Amino acid sequence: MKNVTPTTITDDPQIHEDLHVHAIYDQIAAHFSSTRYKPWPIIAQFLSTLPTGWIGLDSGTGNGKYLPLPAERPGSVLTIGLDRSRNLLQIAQHAGGEAQSNIITREVIWGDVLGNAWRPGAFDYAISIATIHHLASYERRKLAVQRLLQCVSSKHGRVLIYVWAIEQDELSKRKLPPSGQGQPSQNLARGCEPGQDVFVPWVLSQPNSTKHNTQNVEETAAPSVYEAKTGAAAPNSEVYNRYYHMFAKGELTQLTHDAARGLGLCIGSPDGFAEANLRGIDIVQDGWERSNYFVELRCWTT
Amino acid sequence: MVRLVTHNLLACHVKGCTTNNFPLAFQDVQIELQEAEFNPEFVKNLIPRLEWGALADAAKQVGDTSLPPEEPDMMDDDLLQKLHHVLLEIHVIEGAMVCPNCKHVYPISNGIPNMLLAEHEIG
Ligand SMILES: [Zn+2]
Repeated sequence: MKNVTPTTITDDPQIHEDLHVHAIYDQIAAHFSSTRYKPWPIIAQFLSTLPTGWIGLDSGTGNGKYLPLPAERPGSVLTIGLDRSRNLLQIAQHAGGEAQSNIITREVIWGDVLGNAWRPGAFDYAISIATIHHLASYERRKLAVQRLLQCVSSKHGRVLIYVWAIEQDELSKRKLPPSGQGQPSQNLARGCEPGQDVFVPWVLSQPNSTKHNTQNVEETAAPSVYEAKTGAAAPNSEVYNRYYHMFAKGELTQLTHDAARGLGLCIGSPDGFAEANLRGIDIVQDGWERSNYFVELRCWTT
Repeated sequence: MVRLVTHNLLACHVKGCTTNNFPLAFQDVQIELQEAEFNPEFVKNLIPRLEWGALADAAKQVGDTSLPPEEPDMMDDDLLQKLHHVLLEIHVIEGAMVCPNCKHVYPISNGIPNMLLAEHEIG
């Protein structure tokens, strides 16, 4: 059965990610990209509200589907895509160029989401969509959030993060391990349920069996409906098990708080702080959308 | 791609390399010019986000001397056009970027800069 299966991380988290995340995306890049084309509404909305001239980072850009946005004001902001998979970056380099007559080249960078290859606060905004759930320990997930907070302006930086949720959309029909089974993941975030570490299969079909590429593929942080529905791999296909940390309710917001506190940032609206020379973050919205948890925040100084 | 707007954001992130780690110096670069649509408002709003000196110097390194070494007080349309060209139309396709402090080399190949570090270099 090609369903989601619980797992326990026994090796080094970085080695675990190399084997069960990075190597796989390089293998499945083209096929993966063919199923990821529609931007999610909240992310498109976020990018639509950015002032002209802002520069941002898409950390874990994948095939770069957010780099051409906002669709109604193309070229009004510049989003730079970062990813660990070089094969995905080669696709991201020309994201959104298919419909254009002239060549469009996106700015992409081969790097790690835990890296910090920027002037501090160089960006006005940062998004990290369906990426942090691939990191195999609480400390690494927290560091990934801290990198986002460090790379945006402390005065006005805006950040949007999406991760896969344990709570799945009815429509996704993904078969999850029954609750109570499998290992609750290592999770030091306080005051919330632990998430769950799982493997999610990606069925990579060979070029002569492209049938499912034309199916109506659901867009979520997690794999398409097709993979979960498929009980067995087609004869010409290969199955790759990708590692995910599925987030529990409240876990992403808690992780964001922990990350901010670790950097000495205040949490809440700046109106609540009278002292001068403080730095903080204000969570503008957080919630669940189509099998994912998201959090949006703004940075501030007093 | 490494356009100069991106180069202006990048800094060395090798463990312990925290001062004089910006801007990275171009080395053995191969460039390609690609026309981009001119959006004066975008370019104008970009200016306060730039390190002007680093940009003018990087432009010089890739053979463009159109920018004054220091940020001018007045920005006319002609200068915005030049800025547009320097920031958005010069693509570095091959070569490398070198840290002025620790001399770490970040290679650029097929327009993609490699900012990954070896395990012992990660801070
Ligand atoms: Zn350095």
